[in-house]
Amino acid sequence: MIDVVNLCKDYTLKRKEPGLKGAFKGLVNPGIEKIHAVADLSFHIDAGEIVGFIGPNGAGKSTTIKMMSGILTPSSGSVLINGADITKHRKEVVRNIGVVFGQRTQLNWDLRLGESFELLKHIYQIDQKDYDRTIDELDSILGIKEIINQPVRQMSLGQRVKGDLVASMLHSPKVLFLDEPTIGLDVSSKYALRKFIKEINKLRQTTVILTTHDLGDIQELCERLIIINHGVMMEDGNLSEIVDRIAPYKTLVVEFYDEKAPEANFCEMIEHSGNIAKYKFMKKDTTAADIIADLSKRQTIKDVSIEEAGIDDIIKIAYGH
Amino acid sequence: MKKYLYIIKTQIIKRLTYAFDVYGNILVQTIIMITSAFFWKALYKDGGTAGGVDVDSMLVYIIMSSVLSVLLITNVEKRIEQSVQKGTVATDMMKPVSLFGIYFAEDIGTIIALILQNILPILLIGSLLIKVPKMADLRDLPIFVLSVLLSFFINWFLAALFGMMAFSAVNIDALIQVKKHLIRLVSGSIIPLWFFPDPIANVLKFLPFPYIYQLPLSIYIGRGTRAEIFTGMEIQLAWAVVLFLVFLFAQKQITRKVMVQGG
Amino acid sequence: MKKAFKELGHYLDVTIQVIKMAFLTIVEYPANIAGWMISNPIQFIVGFATIKFVVESFGEINGWNYGQLAFLYGLSVMSHALSMIFFVQGWFMGYFVLEGDFDRYLTRPMSVLYQFFFTNINIFGITDLIPGILVFVYGCIKCAVQVTPFFVLQVLVMLIGATLIRGGIYIFLGSTSFYTKSTTDFGMYTQEIMDKTTLYPISMYPESLQFILTYLIPIGWVSFYPVSSLLGIENSVLNGMVVPFVTLLVGLLVITLSGLFFKAGLKKYESAGN
Repeated sequence: MIDVVNLCKDYTLKRKEPGLKGAFKGLVNPGIEKIHAVADLSFHIDAGEIVGFIGPNGAGKSTTIKMMSGILTPSSGSVLINGADITKHRKEVVRNIGVVFGQRTQLNWDLRLGESFELLKHIYQIDQKDYDRTIDELDSILGIKEIINQPVRQMSLGQRVKGDLVASMLHSPKVLFLDEPTIGLDVSSKYALRKFIKEINKLRQTTVILTTHDLGDIQELCERLIIINHGVMMEDGNLSEIVDRIAPYKTLVVEFYDEKAPEANFCEMIEHSGNIAKYKFMKKDTTAADIIADLSKRQTIKDVSIEEAGIDDIIKIAYGH
Repeated sequence: MKKYLYIIKTQIIKRLTYAFDVYGNILVQTIIMITSAFFWKALYKDGGTAGGVDVDSMLVYIIMSSVLSVLLITNVEKRIEQSVQKGTVATDMMKPVSLFGIYFAEDIGTIIALILQNILPILLIGSLLIKVPKMADLRDLPIFVLSVLLSFFINWFLAALFGMMAFSAVNIDALIQVKKHLIRLVSGSIIPLWFFPDPIANVLKFLPFPYIYQLPLSIYIGRGTRAEIFTGMEIQLAWAVVLFLVFLFAQKQITRKVMVQGG
Repeated sequence: MKKAFKELGHYLDVTIQVIKMAFLTIVEYPANIAGWMISNPIQFIVGFATIKFVVESFGEINGWNYGQLAFLYGLSVMSHALSMIFFVQGWFMGYFVLEGDFDRYLTRPMSVLYQFFFTNINIFGITDLIPGILVFVYGCIKCAVQVTPFFVLQVLVMLIGATLIRGGIYIFLGSTSFYTKSTTDFGMYTQEIMDKTTLYPISMYPESLQFILTYLIPIGWVSFYPVSSLLGIENSVLNGMVVPFVTLLVGLLVITLSGLFFKAGLKKYESAGN
C-alpha cells in the first residue's frame, strides 16, 4: 500500500544573532545552517493497518507524514502509494488520500459546513449518489448532519474536527493521514474521533497513519508503532512486541501484614514503604507466581497486584536514547 | 519613559531584521521618485514655470516628498485593529504602560530604523539619478524642521484617531485604504495643491492635510513669501493642537468604554 | 484531447462552485463590501481628477491629451480590477507559505496555483471595475471613439491579456516568498509600480526604461501599447500590429513563465511549524 524508501529531508536555517549589532550583521551576512529533519527513513505499510508515529517535538514525525501526504517535497528518497510516487504524480495519487492536520482546518471559516463539503464534492468529482451515501454513513458514526448547516466559525473545536474528518473522507480515500488529531479536544470528542477511526478502518479497510502525543490514542488505535527521534527510526513494530522489547519487565506490588519485607530470587525490590513493597522482575527470568511463592515462604502476604510497563514508559525510554 | 525607550529599541531591532522589507521600501520609493521625476519633466517639456515653480524645484519637491513619506509611516491603525479583532484590547489597556504610548514608541522606533535604512539611500539615489535636493534657503532650515515635526504629529494623531474607529467597526481595512489615498492626494505628496482648481484648493487650505506634506516641502523649495509660510505654520500648529486634544478626548472615551464593556 | 476537455470541465465546474461560495461570503459580511464599494471608486476617481488638474494646467503630457489619458486610465483600472478579482492573493502568498496554508491545496487533486487563486477569489474586486468603466466611457466620449464590433473585441482581448500580465507579475513576486521565507506583502509595491506605468503613457520615460517595460517586465503591453494602437497614437514599437492580440500573447507567456517559477518554488515549501 505505502512504501517509504530512503526518505530524507534537509532544512536550511538562517542563524540570527541577538541584539542591535546582530541585527545589523544579519542584514549583511546571514549565517546558514543545515538541519537533517528526516534521515534515511524506509518502511512499508499494508492496506488496512493503523500505524502510529510517535516521537518528541521536532523529532521529524510531522515532516515524515507531510512528505507521505505530498505536502513536502523530499530532499531525496521517495514515497509510493499504491506503487505511484506521490511527488511525481501528486494530482492522481492524492485522490487516494485524506488528510486531517490537527489545529488547522480545510473548512471555509465564513460559510456553513455544508458549503465546504459541496466544494470538495466538486473538487473530487464525487457524484451525488456516492456523496449522499458517504454523508449518511459518516453521519451514523459521527452525527454530522446536526451541524452541517452551522457556520464553521461558530463551531467548537470538537465540532470543527468532526467536520474536518468528514471532509477528509468524502472521496472515500484508501489512506487517511492524521497529524495530532486529538490535540486540544475534550474527552467526548476524543472518544468520538477514536471510534470514527476504528469504524472506518473496519468498514472501509482504510489505512490510517497518525502522529500523536496522546497515550490513549496509541493504546486504543495503533496496532503498529513507528518511533522516530532526531529524524531517525528508533523502533518499528507491533505495539505489544515493542513493549516486550523495550520494557521486558513487570512490577509486582505486594502488601504484607507487617513492615518487614523480604528479598526474593530473580527480582529486585525497587520501593518499600510501610507494609507495601514493589519488586521489579524480567519476564524472561521468572514469573510473578514464582516470586509470590518464594516470598510467601518468608513472610505472610496480604495482597498482590501486577503493574505492566505502560506505553508512557516506552516513550520515556525511547526518547531517552 | 525608560519603558518607552525600551520599546523603541526593540522596534528598531525588529525592523533591522527584516532585510527584505527594507530593500523593498527603498525600491518602491526609488520607483516613485524616478517615475514622478519623468512625469514632471514631461509636463515641463517647454520649460518655464507653473504654479510659480520651475522644473528644478519640482524635482527637489518630489525627492523630499519621498523622504518625508518615510518619516510619516504609521502602524498605529493596524495595531489597534489587530488588538480589537483579537480581543486583547481590555488586557492591553490594563497594562501599566499606556497602550497608545506603546504604539507611538513603536512608530518612533520604526522611523529611527528607517532613517538609516531608507532615508539615506533614498537621498543618495535621488541625488545621483535625479538631482541633488538642495534646500532653497538654508536659513529656513529651523522652520523646516519645526514644520516637519508638526506634520509628523498631525499625521500620527490622524492615524491614531482613525485606528480608534476599529472600536465601532471591526474591519477598517477599507477605511485605512481610503484615508491613505485621500491623504496622498490632498496633502500635496504627489501633486501640489497649487495645480488644483481654486475652489478646491481654497477649501483644502483649511483642512489639516496640506500641512502634512505640502507646507514643509514648500518651505524646503522656497515657494511662497515669509508671510504665507508663517500663516501656514500657524494653521499647522493649530491643527496639531486640535488633533492632539481630540486624540486625548477620544482616548479617554474609548478607555472608559473598553473598561466598562471589557472590550 | 478528450482528456483535456474533461479536465477543463472539471475546473469550470469547481470555478462555478467557488464563485457561488464567494457570493455567499459577501452576503455573510455586507458591511465589508459596503466599505470597499465606497473606498475603491473614491480612490480612482479622485486619482483621475488630480491628473485632470495637472494636465489642464499644462495642456497635455507627451502629446496625450486629456481625453486620451482618460481612455488609458479607464482601461488600465479595468484590467487592474480583473486582476484584483482573480489574482490579488499573489500579493499575500508569503502569509500562505509561512502559515502552511498550501498544505490543503497540495493534498487535493487539482492545480495548486488554481486552488490558491480560485478558492480565495476576491469578488470584492468588482468595486474597482466601476470607476474603471466610468472613466473609460468618459474617455471614449472625449475621444469620439467609433464603437465597432472589432473595437469591442479588441478591448475584450486586451483586457484578458492585461489581466494575465498583471496576474503573472503577482505570481512571480509572491513566489519569491518560497525562497525568502518572508511574509512581505507585495501589494503596496506592485500597486505603486503598476499605477505609475499603466495609468500614464510610458513614452514620458527615457528609452532605456521604455525598453525594460516593453521587453523585460512587459508592463507596457498592459495598457500603453494597446491603447496607443486603439487610439491611433504613433509609436515605433507598434509597426501596424493589432496590439491587443499581442497583449494576449504576452499575457499567456508571462503567466506561463511565472507559473513555472511558482512550481519550482513550491518544491521548497516547508509547511508550518518546522
